[in-house]
Amino acid sequence: MSVEKRPAFEPPAVLLERETPPPQMRRPIATSFGAVLVVLRALAGVVWLIALALEWDRVVTEDLDIELEPGTDETAASAVILTVVLIIGAVILLAVLAMALLVYRGSNWARITVMVFATISITVAAIDYFSDDAEITLRTTLITLSLDILVLLALSSHNARAYARRPRPRRSGG
Amino acid sequence: MGEPGADTSEPPPPRRFSINAALDGFFFVYAGLAAVWLAWLVLSETFAFGWFGIAFFVVFWLVLAYLVLPRLHRILTTIYVPDYFIGRARTSDGLLGDPVNLALDGDEASVHAAMRAAAWTRADDVTLASSWRIVTSTITRRSYDEAPVSPLFLFGRQQDFAYQQEVLGNPARRHHVRFWRTPDGWLLPGGRRVDWLAAGTFDRAVGFSLFTLQVTHKIDADIDVERDHIVSTVLAANPDARVVILRDFSTGYHSRNGGGDSVRTDGDLPVLDVSDVREERVAAIEESDISDAAPERVRVVPGVKTS
Repeated sequence: MSVEKRPAFEPPAVLLERETPPPQMRRPIATSFGAVLVVLRALAGVVWLIALALEWDRVVTEDLDIELEPGTDETAASAVILTVVLIIGAVILLAVLAMALLVYRGSNWARITVMVFATISITVAAIDYFSDDAEITLRTTLITLSLDILVLLALSSHNARAYARRPRPRRSGG
Repeated sequence: MGEPGADTSEPPPPRRFSINAALDGFFFVYAGLAAVWLAWLVLSETFAFGWFGIAFFVVFWLVLAYLVLPRLHRILTTIYVPDYFIGRARTSDGLLGDPVNLALDGDEASVHAAMRAAAWTRADDVTLASSWRIVTSTITRRSYDEAPVSPLFLFGRQQDFAYQQEVLGNPARRHHVRFWRTPDGWLLPGGRRVDWLAAGTFDRAVGFSLFTLQVTHKIDADIDVERDHIVSTVLAANPDARVVILRDFSTGYHSRNGGGDSVRTDGDLPVLDVSDVREERVAAIEESDISDAAPERVRVVPGVKTS
């Protein structure tokens, strides 16, 4: 068996190489942990929606400068908009929960999708933080941001990657 | 080797590059950078909460030691640590781990039989349950003689299995040895074929590693003592086992392992031949309780001086 002479350092392209996971792989801690974090991220969304519903009138009057008098068109419209926002929010959160389940079961596309959204969320927060000096503290967005970063860390780890891309027996109809 | 059909159903070699893998590489690095930022944000929170900030400092340490540094090490060591055999196992972060200081010949059943006969206990796999049990047993100092060992990597693979002996029922102190099956047709530097490589070290305490900032087992620097302990226990319990010593195989290791513990060795590599050890014979011997190592089963091969 002849082997070519190798350089004294490895090419960075090694980071792009495929994992070759063992065929029988148990669910790694990183995958379970990542799924749990996605659920927590959904719970943070629930809290945010409840807070929005409770503070809705104040948001409309103070932030949007719209007078809300009982019985006017604006009040009725504001209630409709709130309902629509809550429904859309609930649908998104259900989708997030479904993603958590898929990630837990080892779906690769769900893992990639979750990581794409986490990356977008982190990037937006980073641009805010570094350009506008928006404050990120525990009282503002530190919790959701750290959840996003932890999700990205867990799901991009080698173990989670190998588990999501493990060779599986192809089932009929699947 | 002795196992026909073990590798016949291997899938075809995958393509070297794919978009999916490129995305994964991007996320891997991006997550590392984001984690650095997270550590900084948590650290800046530390000063905003007075005495309560100590809790944030603990969180900062956890993020730094268990998320940021491993990920950065992983990215950098992928590039700067050679991926061929250099006589060292690597940690899951890619840092250099315990030195390979033992080799074996024989199939897997024989290795298991020989180790069991020599009063070694097979370590559990690392799972959430076993990790939790090792934490509780360390704190309460209760015995956990199948405690898992941390994963170390050789040939890009985690150890196939590990054996250990607890000392005085204290889980912080234990003999342990990890085994890797060598790839088919793979030869040691110098050209000898062996079936298994192993790395044996003695955990002397649980401590704080200044290298990785993590809490880990500290290993005893004299790894030769542990190597000789493994060889002598296996020879004593298995009359069918023999050993050949490759002198000066890795002379001059005076280095550190992945946790920053220093390591000293005379560089000899014993090759244990356990291929004649059989499960049934081990059971028979355990009943009759014979235990003496015959000296004629030890043979020494002097190292070839090439300078």
